[in-house]
Amino acid sequence: MSDIAASPANPPGHETSWGVKILGWVCVLFGAVILAGGVWLILLGGSWYYGLAGLGLAATGILLNRYMMEAVWLYLVVWVGTVAWAWWEVGTNWWAEVPRLVAPTLILVLVLLCIPALRRHPSKL
Amino acid sequence: MTRFVPFAAAVLLAGTLPLQAQQATTPDTQQPTTGAAEGPSPTENATISQPPAEQTTEDDTADDAFATAAQPLMEVGTDWPYWGGDAQATRYSPLNQITPENVDQLEQVFTFHTGDLPEGTAEGKYSPEVTPLKVGDDLLMCSAMNILISVDAATGEENWRFDPGVPNDAIPYGATCRGVSVYSNPDAAEGDACATRVIQGTLDAKLVAVDVETGAPCEDFGENGTVDMWQDIGERVPGWYAVTAPPAIVRGIVVSGAQVKDGQAEDAPSGVIRGYDAVTGELAWAWDLAAPDENRNGPPEGEVYTRGTPNMWTTAVADEELGLVYLPMGNSSVDYYGSNRSDAENEYATSLVALDATTGAEAWHFQTVRHDVWDYDLGSQASLIDYQGTPAVLLPSKQGDIYILNRETGEPLTPVGELTDLPKGEVEPEYISDTQPVSEWHTLRKDPLEEKDMWGFTPIDQLWCRIQFRRANYDGFFTPPSTDKPWIQYPGYNGGSDWGSVAIDTDRGIIIANYNDVPNYNRLVPRDEVTSKPINEMETGESGGANAEGAADPQSGSPYGISVNAGWRNDLTGVPCTRPPYGGIRAIDLETGETLWDRPLGTARRNGPFGIPSFLPFDIGTPNNGGSVVTAGGLVFIAAATDNLFRAIDIETGETVWSTVLPAGGQANPITYEVDGRQYVMVSAMGHHFMETPVGDEVIAWALPEN
Repeated sequence: MSDIAASPANPPGHETSWGVKILGWVCVLFGAVILAGGVWLILLGGSWYYGLAGLGLAATGILLNRYMMEAVWLYLVVWVGTVAWAWWEVGTNWWAEVPRLVAPTLILVLVLLCIPALRRHPSKL
Repeated sequence: MTRFVPFAAAVLLAGTLPLQAQQATTPDTQQPTTGAAEGPSPTENATISQPPAEQTTEDDTADDAFATAAQPLMEVGTDWPYWGGDAQATRYSPLNQITPENVDQLEQVFTFHTGDLPEGTAEGKYSPEVTPLKVGDDLLMCSAMNILISVDAATGEENWRFDPGVPNDAIPYGATCRGVSVYSNPDAAEGDACATRVIQGTLDAKLVAVDVETGAPCEDFGENGTVDMWQDIGERVPGWYAVTAPPAIVRGIVVSGAQVKDGQAEDAPSGVIRGYDAVTGELAWAWDLAAPDENRNGPPEGEVYTRGTPNMWTTAVADEELGLVYLPMGNSSVDYYGSNRSDAENEYATSLVALDATTGAEAWHFQTVRHDVWDYDLGSQASLIDYQGTPAVLLPSKQGDIYILNRETGEPLTPVGELTDLPKGEVEPEYISDTQPVSEWHTLRKDPLEEKDMWGFTPIDQLWCRIQFRRANYDGFFTPPSTDKPWIQYPGYNGGSDWGSVAIDTDRGIIIANYNDVPNYNRLVPRDEVTSKPINEMETGESGGANAEGAADPQSGSPYGISVNAGWRNDLTGVPCTRPPYGGIRAIDLETGETLWDRPLGTARRNGPFGIPSFLPFDIGTPNNGGSVVTAGGLVFIAAATDNLFRAIDIETGETVWSTVLPAGGQANPITYEVDGRQYVMVSAMGHHFMETPVGDEVIAWALPEN
């Protein structure tokens, strides 16, 4: 402890990035909700999208909490899959695309904004 | 990422869309059925009753005391003399001063305040829906609480008013007076008091007649100008029995039904239709569908008209030439359960009924729903047209079907199809009909819902709606009621076409129909879970009339109450569970029944998450209530949508060519008229509680600038 305390400041990349943490927990929370609802929907005979997307979102959140760059890649996969699914379901009906694309895209932007912080931080496995 | 900005903006809109509105009313119940209708099998839609020997439509020779000859019709154009514009209720005006080219120059000429705004227990219950008449120099209208008012049609200055003093507790579901009717006594000399009179039905179920010139009550009509329609109805329960539509006047007979507040009890006021002498107010006849002959001149002493029978809350259309009146009937009381309805109720519910207006005898009827358990009341006024050389009546329904029938016989002139093998459900499979009629000529109805039609503004609320979709019973159109799980009713009771009806440009041969496109999410509630009480068991002032129709109605006397989520909104967020559009407007070729154009009606400007207006001008297609006017100038004028806009649409293209913001909701039919060579367009902006638009008291006129 004394060695670390001797440093004038924490080494770069080791302080907590609150933005990444908050986004991580938000993704875990919403991912869990969507996963739970998605499993319910699957059991009712409905779309599998929500179960899979919820799983992907929750996993993204876990990876973000560990400062792993894989979070970005995983969420890109989720987002591309979401766009493809949305297009397949409703095509150019833009009003129908609102719930399908707006929130996932906002999350994509936030995840991309985490890249500099993820680069600074060593991953915590 | 900028390309997603439109999505972000869109999400703003997505929020709370006020849903629909409607007026459903119904009736009925059960009761002994005497005199069951001689009836045609339920599989026939049009039933021609055997006309009593001299019944007929040309019978001008009846020798009773009432007027029976065809009387002269008033012309539409300079005037707007009938609620539906002309006597045929086409809402078509020959005026052509305002055109798609100059409509953008329209300016407001005047605004008139009725001064009738909700007070006390009327708060949250206003839905005036009023459409003025214009006769001579005057506009003639009623306010929400039935104050009769005459206004100068050029200046907006008040000529007179007459307040019949309707109390707040008379408000059934909403304080509504869609309009008034005018009658000129052919035997009166010009200048006689009440030679021309304004007649309205009131929320407390009175017919009121006043002089068109002075507003003074007509002494010769009933008692000091008033006829009490509660007579022979039974126990007087304010708010249960109310008139909201202008009466039809045929050959000197004032014909009126009444709204019977929905969902209360099977033992409800009768849906009897009555004809009164337009001069004396004397009862000419009654048509009690369960005892048409026995009660023709009123029920025997000490008895009442058959209770719980289908009523007519909307506007009938008069056929002066044939001496018929066409009645769009609603459903029995109660709406969502039918096993104990009488044969007569089953015969006439949700039918268009043609009566001989001079005798009250039935000429024919045409049923649009068999064994209606969906509150699919006929809400639209029918229109009289010439269809390929045949005198016809055009009937839109809440299911969106448009029928064209022979006016004399009720026989369909356009193809009527038959749905078969419909699901019968588990609640009353013996009662539910597994066949239903549909129009194969034209329907406003859209394809059945699928899971992917569920909506929200995030994946989470969309997911919740998808779960609700999968948990409900839904087998498409006419899915029967259920109690183990909710069921989806689509279209919902709001239509299709509702009381605003359609407008018909008879020169161009184009029908303009605005419509709703919203489902309801319903469940029959077992009796032991029902907590609400019927209106007749409530303490005075306890009534919760502002609830959406059917939101939690007791349906007393049946095994189930009814829970209706009108417009099927997400119970967590209030956002609709189905994707837009929620309403549209369409042009239909009158010759072929083909769609000429079809578009969403209503912008997203007033909608947004958490009820915050987005001010975005995109057409999302909102629920709408109130019809349109079409003009020879080539324009469709309509408000109706929940965006509080009044707009002109080019009838050829469907494009909005002018719009203006109203100070309150425009849930009313507009009119157009002329004074001194200047064409005016007018609509009332008074709001609607069920449509969730702001309440007001204004009637507003626009015209082109004077040179």
